[in-house]
Amino acid sequence: MDNFVRNSLILLVICTAVMCVAAYAGYASGAGMEGTDGIVEEHAASTGGLEAVEIVPNVGAYGDMGEYVGFTLAGIIAGFIFGYFWIDIKEGGQRA
Amino acid sequence: MHISDGILSTQWCIVWYVVALVFIALGIREIKRRTEETPSYMPLLALMGAAIFVIAVWHIPVPVTGSCSHPIGTPMSAIVVGPFATVVLSAIALIFHAFLAHGGITTLGANTVSMGIVGTFTGYGTYVLLRRVNFSVWIAAGMAGFVGDVLCYLTTAMELALSINPGSVLYHWGLYSLGFVPTQLPLAVAEFIFTAAIVKYIADTRPDIIAKLGGAIDG
Repeated sequence: MDNFVRNSLILLVICTAVMCVAAYAGYASGAGMEGTDGIVEEHAASTGGLEAVEIVPNVGAYGDMGEYVGFTLAGIIAGFIFGYFWIDIKEGGQRA
Repeated sequence: MHISDGILSTQWCIVWYVVALVFIALGIREIKRRTEETPSYMPLLALMGAAIFVIAVWHIPVPVTGSCSHPIGTPMSAIVVGPFATVVLSAIALIFHAFLAHGGITTLGANTVSMGIVGTFTGYGTYVLLRRVNFSVWIAAGMAGFVGDVLCYLTTAMELALSINPGSVLYHWGLYSLGFVPTQLPLAVAEFIFTAAIVKYIADTRPDIIAKLGGAIDG
């Protein structure tokens, strides 16, 4: 592992940790912390008598487990696609 | 900046889809061309796609306003892999976001325009402009992140106003912008910091990656 990869991984872990701590602090403070996207959208929709509808199934609706399953499936599919092309990328198309 | 299904009129959904599809088509052509020239462009694209997906879906609390929002990540991606490719990455990330209750399918075009086109091109343009007048890499990259982030949200406000309040677009554009700005400004500063840090880091340690892939590190 060269310095670039090692430092990138360290940076990734630090960024993730900062985001986790910030998210925990926000929700633990009990301030509600509703998303501004939703707040503004609801206000805008109310001026036009509109309401958001759910067309796409939301994996979050199945609780934390839904998100775990959703992200795992996405990771598996992306991993297979990426792995399939890896030989082309690394070996310049010398697929066995 | 994620607008949900059912909020925009059909007419505006189609308009934003058409605009987005033009840029996506140009982006796919650009990706094909660069991948043929440099196969290692593909894994970097995948990395940037994953980064945009995570950055633009992770709501970060802003305690001073009692609400939360997210950066967009597309200015950083535009500097590293190019703006047209970033539009494609942005559209793909937004499709996945729709499954996490962020955005929607009918509003995919509108969300791609705000995050993938305006956020990308204004950020990229800011970076190139500042580099041409000899600003350092980190200031140019940071300002790209800041400008791209803020203008992305102003575009979302405009999309809402155009569709929902056609009789008083400017008034409602200002109103919705004021709703976004207090929470978004601190996050635009965060976008300044991480865009500057990441681009400066790549420029210092592996400029060959960007130079080989036709990015804009050298302005």
